[in-house]
Amino acid sequence: MHDGDVDVFLALVERHRTYMYNLALRLTGREQDAKDVVQESLLDAFLHLDRFEGRADFRTWLNRIVVNCALDHLRGLRRRPDAYQPTPLSDVADTAASSSPDPERLAASADWRRLVAAAMEGMSPLERITFALRHFEGRSIAEIAETVGIGNNAAKQHIFRAVRKLRLALAAHGVSS
Amino acid sequence: MSHLTDDELVLHYYDEDGPDIVRVERHLETCVDCARAYEGLSRTLTAVTPPAVVEAPDDTIALRQLLLERVHDRESPLAIALAWLVPLLYPWSAPAIFAAAQSAHGWVLVAPLLWACAGPAIAVVALQRGRNRFDRLTTRLRVLGALLATVTPPLFLVVRAGQLLDWWYGAIAVAALLALVPWPVSAGSTPRLKRLHRLSSLLLGVYILAHIVNQSLAFVSVESYAAMRGVMRLASQQSVSYVAIVAMVAMQIATGAAMGVKKVTTGALARNVQVVSGWYLAVFLFAHVWSPYLAPASAAPVAQALTPPHLLTSARSVASLPFYLLGVSAFLLHIGLYARLAALTWLPDAAVRRLSYAGAIAGALVVASVGLSLCGIHILR
Repeated sequence: MHDGDVDVFLALVERHRTYMYNLALRLTGREQDAKDVVQESLLDAFLHLDRFEGRADFRTWLNRIVVNCALDHLRGLRRRPDAYQPTPLSDVADTAASSSPDPERLAASADWRRLVAAAMEGMSPLERITFALRHFEGRSIAEIAETVGIGNNAAKQHIFRAVRKLRLALAAHGVSS
Repeated sequence: MSHLTDDELVLHYYDEDGPDIVRVERHLETCVDCARAYEGLSRTLTAVTPPAVVEAPDDTIALRQLLLERVHDRESPLAIALAWLVPLLYPWSAPAIFAAAQSAHGWVLVAPLLWACAGPAIAVVALQRGRNRFDRLTTRLRVLGALLATVTPPLFLVVRAGQLLDWWYGAIAVAALLALVPWPVSAGSTPRLKRLHRLSSLLLGVYILAHIVNQSLAFVSVESYAAMRGVMRLASQQSVSYVAIVAMVAMQIATGAAMGVKKVTTGALARNVQVVSGWYLAVFLFAHVWSPYLAPASAAPVAQALTPPHLLTSARSVASLPFYLLGVSAFLLHIGLYARLAALTWLPDAAVRRLSYAGAIAGALVVASVGLSLCGIHILR
């Protein structure tokens, strides 16, 4: 691999970077983490470009790398307590719950988003990734299972647990289903 | 009638209930409790929306730098293979190349010289490409391969004459085994090793420099060479000075080996050239000191005569020419690079650069004049 390959690669991924960043943002929930994940993903893609077989399209291949990098990144954060400081739910829940208890009306508010983000930080990395892929990205469970490298039933169970935790966290802070 | 579970409701919300979709839909139409639970779930999940799409931050420059670092930080299988091929093939290919050089007079100097330079040159290339991860087998393999590629030409002087091919391949196998075991984190106190290395290099450096200057002088005047050679021989043949020289060589090799292997750094050309020239010098000096015992025939022209050696007189001595020239180059490079580093702490960069160019030109002239004198070309006979 030569220096010139770096520029060719950067030109190749340029139009996918916004997509990758937004995917990473949905999976991790934090801008800095999303930035790190995109960087790690691009490094990974660059070093393993020879493994891109061309059977899937390039974005699908990048998508798989971003998902797995995000999973590794979230797991890494969990192992480093100094780097992982979830937002306490109580910090954001009071304002969200008191200002507007109806989730549909809250959907557009910043407080509600912060509340959901804080609730999602209570999920395990796999729960968070599978839920985000299913809920935000609209991926099928079979697709998620294949991307993450787990079985269909395992993927389902992670999503069930993620939804349960989300609802419990929101209910505990006055947002009723 | 049993109610739908939360998990079934979640699957229904995401249209993932497969063949059960009709049953679940019918149940929701007839069961008020489940319909209410589903409505609550739907309201919550519908309100959980993804963050708005934003532009990715523009960190292309940082990313490019990171990718470039990775490019240079990867172990190159080609570099590892090339470095190991040199010591493996050298004993077989070198005689063929020297024989070809003998038959084609135009190439008599160039071909063996190029081939003798191949090992150290490949070693520098191998050290430039890769990772500085000595906890990894691949890094250890590459560095050991580079070490073997460097020492192959001077060791070949001994192997060729002494018919020690079994030992040669045995040493390569031992080196390969050394790559398999983890290396110590630190080989010792580096400042103390450096002091010992510098101290031992003082006496040895003076002796070698005098030797090189004299050899260079032979190009100008055979008489001057003979006079100075007589004095040097008198000095070096004293048992005290001979023991001191051998001890200094041993100390140089020992301290250099302890410092040198882990000193290699990917991308640091000057440092890697200094390490490679040090490796070459170590084995060259070793072979030079011990050649009278290991290969009396090849050492005779240089070690014994008061007249300048004429290496073009036989096939055996022609083969020695590039190794001697490489030895001279390695010595000048080794001390030159050290002097350059030392000068950087005292002089401005521009002055050091000018001095480096001047030193490089002077060094090239010395190597050329030594080469010409070894080929029997003298201005004054």
